[in-house]
Amino acid sequence: MNFLSLITLIFAPIAAALLILIPKFPNHQVKVRRFAKAFASLHFIYAMLFLVFFDTGLYGMSYEKELTFFNISWLKSMGISAKFAVDGISLLLVILTSFIVLITFVLSKMHIRTKHKLYYSMVFLFESAILGILCAKDMFMFFVFWELSLIPLYFLISQWGNSEARSAAMKFTLASFTANVFLFFAMLILYYYNFAVSNVLTANIESLSMDESIYPMWFQMLVFINFLIGFIIRVPFVFFHSWYPDIQSKSCAPVNILVSGTLLCTGVYGLIRFNLQIFPEIFKLFAPVLMCWGVVNIIYAGALSIIQPEIKKIAAYAQISMTGFVMIGLACLNQVGFNGAVFMTLALSIVFTSLYAIISSVQFRTKTTYLTALGGLGQVMPKCMYFALIICFGAIGVPFLITFAPKLMILSGAILSNLEEELMVKIVAITGLLAIIFASGYIMYLFYKVFCSVLLEQWKRLKDLSPQEMSVMTALCLVIIYFGVYPMSVIQIYQSVSNYLLDILQV
Amino acid sequence: MIESINGIVNDILNAYLPESIIIIFILFSLTASLFFNTSLYKLSKWFTLFGITLALGSTFFLPIDPDNMEIFAFNGEIVSSIYTIFFKILILMSAFFLTLLSRNLIREKRDRAFEYFTVFLCAVLFAMCTVSVTNFAGLFFAFEGLGLCSFLLLNFSKKTDAKQLSFGYFVQGNAAAFLFLFGISYLYGLCGQISFSGVSDYLAQTDSIVLLTFAFILILCVFLFKLGIVPFSSWVADTFEGAGYPIAAFMSTIPVLAGFGILSRLLLVFMNYLPVLKILFICIAMLTILFSALSAIRQTTVKRLMAYSMSVQSGIMLLGLSVFSVFSLSGVLFYLLCYMFVNIGVWAAIILFYDSCKRDNIEDYNGLIFHRPYYVIAFTTVLIALAGLAPTSGFVAKLYLFSAVARAGFLFLPFLIISMLACVIMIFAYWKLIRSMFRRVDTEVSIDTKIVSSKFILYACALASILLCIFADKIIQLCQSAAYYL
Repeated sequence: MNFLSLITLIFAPIAAALLILIPKFPNHQVKVRRFAKAFASLHFIYAMLFLVFFDTGLYGMSYEKELTFFNISWLKSMGISAKFAVDGISLLLVILTSFIVLITFVLSKMHIRTKHKLYYSMVFLFESAILGILCAKDMFMFFVFWELSLIPLYFLISQWGNSEARSAAMKFTLASFTANVFLFFAMLILYYYNFAVSNVLTANIESLSMDESIYPMWFQMLVFINFLIGFIIRVPFVFFHSWYPDIQSKSCAPVNILVSGTLLCTGVYGLIRFNLQIFPEIFKLFAPVLMCWGVVNIIYAGALSIIQPEIKKIAAYAQISMTGFVMIGLACLNQVGFNGAVFMTLALSIVFTSLYAIISSVQFRTKTTYLTALGGLGQVMPKCMYFALIICFGAIGVPFLITFAPKLMILSGAILSNLEEELMVKIVAITGLLAIIFASGYIMYLFYKVFCSVLLEQWKRLKDLSPQEMSVMTALCLVIIYFGVYPMSVIQIYQSVSNYLLDILQV
Repeated sequence: MIESINGIVNDILNAYLPESIIIIFILFSLTASLFFNTSLYKLSKWFTLFGITLALGSTFFLPIDPDNMEIFAFNGEIVSSIYTIFFKILILMSAFFLTLLSRNLIREKRDRAFEYFTVFLCAVLFAMCTVSVTNFAGLFFAFEGLGLCSFLLLNFSKKTDAKQLSFGYFVQGNAAAFLFLFGISYLYGLCGQISFSGVSDYLAQTDSIVLLTFAFILILCVFLFKLGIVPFSSWVADTFEGAGYPIAAFMSTIPVLAGFGILSRLLLVFMNYLPVLKILFICIAMLTILFSALSAIRQTTVKRLMAYSMSVQSGIMLLGLSVFSVFSLSGVLFYLLCYMFVNIGVWAAIILFYDSCKRDNIEDYNGLIFHRPYYVIAFTTVLIALAGLAPTSGFVAKLYLFSAVARAGFLFLPFLIISMLACVIMIFAYWKLIRSMFRRVDTEVSIDTKIVSSKFILYACALASILLCIFADKIIQLCQSAAYYL
């Protein structure tokens, strides 16, 4: 497995982006797209090789590699180095990212009409940034990629979105930069407090997490809250969420897929990697709060979802609502709940990617996303309707589809949880059960409104899915069904990591 | 007689070589302005470039004593160490770029090209002297000489309101200079000393520091003025608006380099004995960043935006200086290095744009991505670096500077986070420019491809802003050694 290099995996998309941008590269849309698709396929295969050779018994990081430039490591005098490694959780998300980028490229043909070179290079740059976030072993390297991901995303949203996309992109970027300030601040003081205590100048995440007892409580609290603010905006959770439906409704369909599939899971990853791993004591302290927040998330965003006039916004609020389950799973502080939470992150990415893929097909044909203008499309697009049915059932959590297992695990984790506030935990578990009904409400409402009600006159001549869309939908539905039928195939990959993290939590 | 000449030659070779070369070229330029024909105006640029290159090369021949890091010359009036050589190299490099950027300015005023470069070289000379003086009298001469040269350059512009707009600089500069002199006279009255080391020795013995603090705050005013820090920053936007573009680029680079070069040497004298200055400095720095960033987002012309940008960047560096440690000082040095490249890169892009179409509103940049994608990408890179975002030199510089502040103690943390939030406001101001370039509208503006020098500087600076991020470690070590031997 020595021939697999994470450096290649992370920086190959940047190289591809630069290659596309050079003037000599043909400015012909078919050529650019074919190159991008071929490159993304190879990248996905390469990422899969990491999974094939992955040792699931290992609880730490594997495939460790350091990036050096002519044997000079990055900022060595400050104890900061460009080291990369993956564990079970991040490996899954890496493969997911590579997969979603491939899907995005396949679906881009219909939606991207201008500035092809810029578009494909920006997607590659974004992919690199996300992979860097997931693999970085060093706090500041994490932050570099965390900020790098925003710049291509700004252009992706504003350049190819609708007429209002520009202001939405600006809002998102500014909100994210503000959140990044808190993140950066927390990293800086953690870095130097660690230096003051242990006299080792390091920004390595693993070595920061070992000695939780020596930090004073108020200091841990301060840093924890700063990290929480930084990550929660990206997850996003209720009260910090307004950018997400905004950019989803205004950007073009491939960008929707990219954002819902890859961007949001990095927020959860950050919560696990920093808040949980570095501050287990404070995490335990905050667990009831986080659990309540998760419940509020489910109900509040769910209620908002039903009243939206636009399908993209419904899907966006639905995703926010379901992310509440992830928080409940993390906060119940036991094996089942934690495993469920990680699985749920993955599942939500896949399900909502698929949902946005369906929406992209609908939007491409009807040029609208408003519920009032849609209806009865199932009569003219039966294939699309069947795929949509599988995906919507997958989102609700019907047994043998992808989100069933994680939801079950999270709820059983909540019931089994031995947090001190027993009454609250029970209430949470019951509310979570109710939320499943809630979820079926908004998702099936969307399905009914788009595919089942009266067919309008102007949509009678719509064509059904093209072979390309069919291949994408088939792949996504196969993933949804496979993980629903055989959830252990995912869980066993990160089982040892979750054991290790729960050891840190001492529960 | 021969001995004294020998001594002078020795002093020049030891500590004054680049300055001497610049002086020779000033004299040459002055003579040429009297006798040369106007049609030979292009020669002035090439002679200046040659002189600066020669001076830049000569800095590598300055001796560096490994044991006793400071070499004194001219009866201890001038000092030479790694630190001053570092600053001289920075100043000469930026002068080199600025000379190249002056292409269109001297095309328009051919008859005064030699005069322009005479004054320009004088300013460079004074800037280099400023960082290496050892007493307050020399500091006054050098720094005010730099101010006077700046004022002469500001009046070089063709615009009708240029003199009116730059008059604010003159008046406020003189007021600050009076305060400076007043502070020096106080200091001399209290200590009986005028050299930095003498004042430092006196401070180590005495307990009565109230009047000394007062005197030092008076002395500080002139630095705050030159760097555009908050109580004295009102001149910045107007003066930049009136100045010609290369001169505005000059104003935001060389006085800043010289100012920080000498300010950190002065603080070495005072900071350990006057701890109240730390709080004062960090308050001023925070207010500067906040105030200038809030002003910057309301501007509609690029020049005024860049004027406030200079204030913000000075504020960030002052934030680093306010916690006075080796780390923060080397952070400031690294920040200055990055700022020099990035700032000149941004100005090169602006000058290129102005020379092509004579417009300077932010809205005039609309839709440029369709005509000149590579220009826009390079410009975006340097703007992102100036804003301090991730994969560029600006980020590493900010990381290093802010980490030094965070290291200094919990007292400084509230100031740090407010400053960092204010930097986000400034990011928005820069982002407005980027946003307008990527706007989907048709524009008849196009970039003149014949101006090779500005284009070269823009692409070189964009590349440098990436490379400085990747190879930051070596340069940080260099800055650390420079700061350590101060």
